[in-house]
Amino acid sequence: MNFMLMQLDSYFYPVILAGVIAGASTGLLGAFIIGMRVPFIGTCISHASMAGFIYGGLLAFGNANLWPVTSTLGGVLSSVIAALSLASIREDKTRLDKNVGLAIIFCFMLGITFLGIGLNQESRSDMLGLLWGNILFVNKTRTFVIGCLAVVLILFLLFFNKEMKILLFSRSIAAATGVHESFVYCLFLTLCGVILAINMPLVGGLMIFSLITCPAAAAYQICTGYSSVIITSAFFGMISTLAGFLISFRLNLPTGACIVIVSVLIFVLATLYKNIAKRND
Amino acid sequence: MIAGNILLSDILIRRAGRIILNIDNLKINAGDFVSIIGTNGAGKTTFLRLCCGLIKPGRGSIEFDGKDFTQLGTWDKSNVRKHIGYIPQQAEYNPDLPFTLREIVAMGRTSAKPLLKKHNSEDYEIVDNWINKLGLYDLRNQTFRSLSGGEQQKTLIARAMAQQPRVLMLDEPCSNLDFNWKYQITEIIEQLYNMTKVTVLMVSHETNLLPACCHRAVLLHKGNLVADGDIDEIMESETFEQAYGCKFETVILGGRKYTVNKGIK
Repeated sequence: MNFMLMQLDSYFYPVILAGVIAGASTGLLGAFIIGMRVPFIGTCISHASMAGFIYGGLLAFGNANLWPVTSTLGGVLSSVIAALSLASIREDKTRLDKNVGLAIIFCFMLGITFLGIGLNQESRSDMLGLLWGNILFVNKTRTFVIGCLAVVLILFLLFFNKEMKILLFSRSIAAATGVHESFVYCLFLTLCGVILAINMPLVGGLMIFSLITCPAAAAYQICTGYSSVIITSAFFGMISTLAGFLISFRLNLPTGACIVIVSVLIFVLATLYKNIAKRND
Repeated sequence: MIAGNILLSDILIRRAGRIILNIDNLKINAGDFVSIIGTNGAGKTTFLRLCCGLIKPGRGSIEFDGKDFTQLGTWDKSNVRKHIGYIPQQAEYNPDLPFTLREIVAMGRTSAKPLLKKHNSEDYEIVDNWINKLGLYDLRNQTFRSLSGGEQQKTLIARAMAQQPRVLMLDEPCSNLDFNWKYQITEIIEQLYNMTKVTVLMVSHETNLLPACCHRAVLLHKGNLVADGDIDEIMESETFEQAYGCKFETVILGGRKYTVNKGIK
């Protein structure tokens, strides 16, 4: 126990920093994914990245130094491919509801992931760690990369602010009225893929879905106006990871689970607040 | 006079062996007000989406101000579509987002500016101008979802006009509205047309509610263009009765012709 506490201390700051940035950027992405009513995009991409992570890891052939590189590259590559294949699902061309299409891709990715875990007998506990997140995946390099990606995301949202706004409201209006809709949407999904792939090992492939959904859903409950929604959503994502980490350190509980529970609590509190505010009106 | 011609020639769209749309030749001149009528599933919405270049026909060409959508790449198509104001049916947008009315109207300026350029005060001047013209000033900071159906429709019209389009396409703008709002929206569309002389393509089921400035109708039946011409003549014709499978009678009230449905044929 003593040993663990000592170890936690040295890990504490980069982990907290990485977690908070990851929470904020996932919350930001979530504001768009939830606003476009395609929450399955999050699960699909994160599971694709999990599969890529595992198969990329297999390519290292047991070389411990190579493993982080090949696995991360595999994760990024497969999640970007998944994201772009999602962009090609167009409602007006297929007779499939977009959420049904996404669910099918999700199932496929889940199958591939567990197949990979089965093939990878030696480090099975590491692999399972991917499902619910493991702070041991955090080091200085990853923290730096997570930070850089957050900056890229913010720049993207600043530069494509007006396009993202209309994409949220209606992709078909955007397409019909000459907004470069498919270009911006593909760019956004690619960014989604990269960010989720890099953040995934920290929070866990199964858990990252809650960071996409809950902060954004809470922000949509209580905010008015585009900017306030996305800022609040990022803020709630930050709070979820920060509080989740602190609780898990204090009580020695699984980190991913704490983050998820905090993010759901935030959503519940936001909904309560909204209902009370409405009653007082 | 701003341009805004649409020329469809030799269009054929098939899906799963069924003809969705088949139009030999249709010319819509700049400044025309054309209503598109027909039964459910006749291909009216497909027709509008085709005119925007959103659907690639199996055969034929769609020229918008002389530029053929079927020959353009994605990027160039978007540049042409800047001149199209599009007001879709409700299923095509998300009314639950907590955006304010002014934010929605400002979306009309999105394609007017190139990528990476922000809206400036000039854009917001145009936006506020349309908000005022449509009498939405008092509601401008309310969320879109808190507005009534009629007010939402007005907001979408303001959004389309803020784009300063050459062609305005409306997909059943009066469906889901009560009697009063149906008249209000029709009146607004008529005023806009008289004010700007923009080309208007309007899909409508309410043939009696079409504005007086609309003289031309295009009747679609099972994807085929079966009539194109004076609206009163079409509505008194045998083709109109056949397309709907109903008996109609024309009555004149206060100098205006109305079509009354006398039941299934």
